[in-house]
Amino acid sequence: MSESELLDRGYAEVMRRCIATAQAPHYTELAASLGIPLAEAKRLIHELVALTPGWVHPGTDLLASFPPFNLQPTQYRVAIDGDQRWFAQCGFEALAIRWLVPGKHVRIDAPCLCCGDPMVLEMIDEMITTIDPEGMVGYTSSEVGGDPATRPFR
Amino acid sequence: MNLFRSEEHARNWDGYEEEMASSIRHVTEWADIFSNSYFRQRGRSDFVSWTRSDAGMAAFAQFRRLAQS
Repeated sequence: MSESELLDRGYAEVMRRCIATAQAPHYTELAASLGIPLAEAKRLIHELVALTPGWVHPGTDLLASFPPFNLQPTQYRVAIDGDQRWFAQCGFEALAIRWLVPGKHVRIDAPCLCCGDPMVLEMIDEMITTIDPEGMVGYTSSEVGGDPATRPFR
Repeated sequence: MNLFRSEEHARNWDGYEEEMASSIRHVTEWADIFSNSYFRQRGRSDFVSWTRSDAGMAAFAQFRRLAQS
């Protein structure tokens, strides 16, 4: 298997697991899914993270964030077709989860970091069906899109 | 990269930095930006290779341009 094929298959498998279960695979599970040695799967986890704005828990091989999902809880609770099991990496990535689940109802529940009061977004594909409160905004204190040197196509 | 109930709430957040005030946009505007092909294509089986294609690079460049404008 070529390196690019391995990256494609690894990325797709991790994403598939995140969508299906709200959990990322351990590298031993990834090895089994892809039919590759454990050491190669362990290296692959770190290579995939380096290609994305995701991360492993510091000092481990455990996926903690694989955008748009977060494997650790965040304030962005995500329900897909009424099943609230997922968390979004951030408020902006929460807006992109719908593209991974075409035709499904995506609901984001989050508290406002300023006051703690609730906010709700509901989406299906192209349609945003609920914005509560209507004046909801996004804000970031860091550069969106990150440093170009960290992009996969650098 | 967080959501707030209003611009006033974003500005009153203890993590607010005035130098990034231009990033305060209505959630529908951020939703449009995160509708870029880069996000829509994440489910494909060759996503990493696609990000390195002309189409993938163009999509990400467009995303950055819109997000940082």
